[in-house]
Amino acid sequence: MTPSRLVASSLRAMARQRMRSGFMMLGCLVGVAALTLVVSVGRSAERKILDMVRRTFGPSSILVASGGGLMMGGPRGDAARLTLDDMAAVIAALPEVEAWDPQQSLDGAPLRAGDATTTARVLGASERAPRVWGRGVSLGEAFDAGAVARSERVALVGETVARALFGDGDPLGAEIRVGSVQLRVIGVLEPLGTDAHGMDRDDEIVVPISTLMRRLANVDTIGTAKLLVRDPAQVAEAARELERILRERHGIASGQPSDFKVVTPAEVQAMVGRVQRVLFVFLPLAALVIMIVGGAVAASLMLMAVSDRTAEIGLRRAVGARQRDIALQFLVETVVITVTAGCAGVLVGWGGSVAVASRLGFTGPLSWSAALLGVALSAAVGLVAGVAPARRAARLEPVDALR
Amino acid sequence: MIALEGMGKVYPRPGGGPVRALKEITLRIEHGEFLAVVGSSGSGKSTLLNVLGLLDRPSEGRYLLDGQDVSKAPSDEQARIRNARIGFVFQAFRLLPWASARENVELPLQYSERAGFDGLAVAALESVGLADRVHHRPAELSGGQQQRVAIARALVNGPDLLLADEPTGNLDTRSALEVMAIFQDLNRAGRTVVLVTHDAQIAAHCRRIARVEQGRVVVDAPNSHPSDAAEALRSLPAVSAAEEER
Repeated sequence: MTPSRLVASSLRAMARQRMRSGFMMLGCLVGVAALTLVVSVGRSAERKILDMVRRTFGPSSILVASGGGLMMGGPRGDAARLTLDDMAAVIAALPEVEAWDPQQSLDGAPLRAGDATTTARVLGASERAPRVWGRGVSLGEAFDAGAVARSERVALVGETVARALFGDGDPLGAEIRVGSVQLRVIGVLEPLGTDAHGMDRDDEIVVPISTLMRRLANVDTIGTAKLLVRDPAQVAEAARELERILRERHGIASGQPSDFKVVTPAEVQAMVGRVQRVLFVFLPLAALVIMIVGGAVAASLMLMAVSDRTAEIGLRRAVGARQRDIALQFLVETVVITVTAGCAGVLVGWGGSVAVASRLGFTGPLSWSAALLGVALSAAVGLVAGVAPARRAARLEPVDALR
Repeated sequence: MIALEGMGKVYPRPGGGPVRALKEITLRIEHGEFLAVVGSSGSGKSTLLNVLGLLDRPSEGRYLLDGQDVSKAPSDEQARIRNARIGFVFQAFRLLPWASARENVELPLQYSERAGFDGLAVAALESVGLADRVHHRPAELSGGQQQRVAIARALVNGPDLLLADEPTGNLDTRSALEVMAIFQDLNRAGRTVVLVTHDAQIAAHCRRIARVEQGRVVVDAPNSHPSDAAEALRSLPAVSAAEEER
């Protein structure tokens, strides 16, 4: 039989036994969809994370978070005891620190400007934030040290907030209220997009940290602080010293866990590495396992099909099919089904990654290499799964098959 | 054309002695013969036909097809002979239910070495009077029509030997006569036909009748006055168009 006829007749056989084909397809479809989705989304996530890390966490950064939180972690109950005084003591003891910025946040605060309302994160920071975090203003200007010292009622608004409150209007100079506190907008933050945690970093406003602590949140602690040392080589030593000073100030006995967490670039690197391993090794492996299980299902269903189609096999042998024609028919049928499933899996995975990417604000959805690998794996699964049915079908003697 | 020499077939039987289905069969069939093999069920007549059709291998003796011992030929060679030289017609039609009449008839062509087979299947269907049923599926055809599709399938690759196992067993009288008329036409045109039946009236259409009992050919004689199926058809009462459609 010619190859094109074999494939055409396989497609018809697949359409004829929809239920069976469907179950045979399941493993490859789910596996390839998962593979395509995970790798596609993973790639964009990885790009996003690395971009974010590069921008906000350079090689000479140290982050200290109260509580045990990581990166943006806010205060956590009683464990949050990090204060500005703590940080002042640290900075006094660490001459290699060239700049630092404390931050505290108020999540989901109600904002109002005229009749327009929205909720957003209110972030308190020092005047050094643009330098330390690498995020300045695109319009207007940032607040200065005096504003922080006087707890001035000024705010820098993110683009999402500006759009929600002012539409296309000019936010500069406008008054907004956070609860009952009135703030004057003096700048618009540079856009950042969605961060590694899936948070829209443009849906926030930045106020002097003193304003946030005294006027808005009424807290004495800070959430995080970021320090920049002069030389990346000093990071490890500075981080150790920072940890020692804070533990001493907090009176933590040796052997007890800290009530804060220090993050260095090395740790971020390790974390990114962990994420990459999960994204590009473990999840694809899981997809592969699904496909192998699917292949076993396909093989057993195809074996059953051989029994169901004994009469057809006998007839084909009677009219001149050789053993290898019959073997090839069942092999190609299995491969056609799994490859069809693989292609469907690519479509499903692609659709899924588009949906996920658009929710998370990622770009560049389809990973062609993952899609091709998925289809190739499907073909391999079909080849392996089809061997046993093909052998069983070919071994049937014509006279027995016709009985 | 065909010579069986001391051919026997033994089946192993689980939990018992072997079953000797055919014993010491010696039989010659010349080109252009029309042979009926008759016998009761279990007599071995179907086994004989399966051996003739290379669907089953004899346990002993020789099977010469045009002088060549084909009983011990490799499986692929046997498949090639089945494809090119032998056409089968079965009692239960054995059409693929999902395929159209044309596709069913094309099946042997798919395993042939022909490059293209445009028109062959349709021509074969025309030759059995089914030119207007080319795209029908088996379920849309009457039993007689289905068997005629099966005959077209047996003919499509131009074989010189036609083997039929109880071809009228599932058919009413009229359809059976139609099928026998086709076989008689084919035989008159020079094809060798071997037909297995337990029905003496069907066998009466053939030009030679061999009786098989307990695995042996006990009678083998020419039939000097074969019944003419076409004539018998004409003498049947006319059927209404509606009944024909059914």
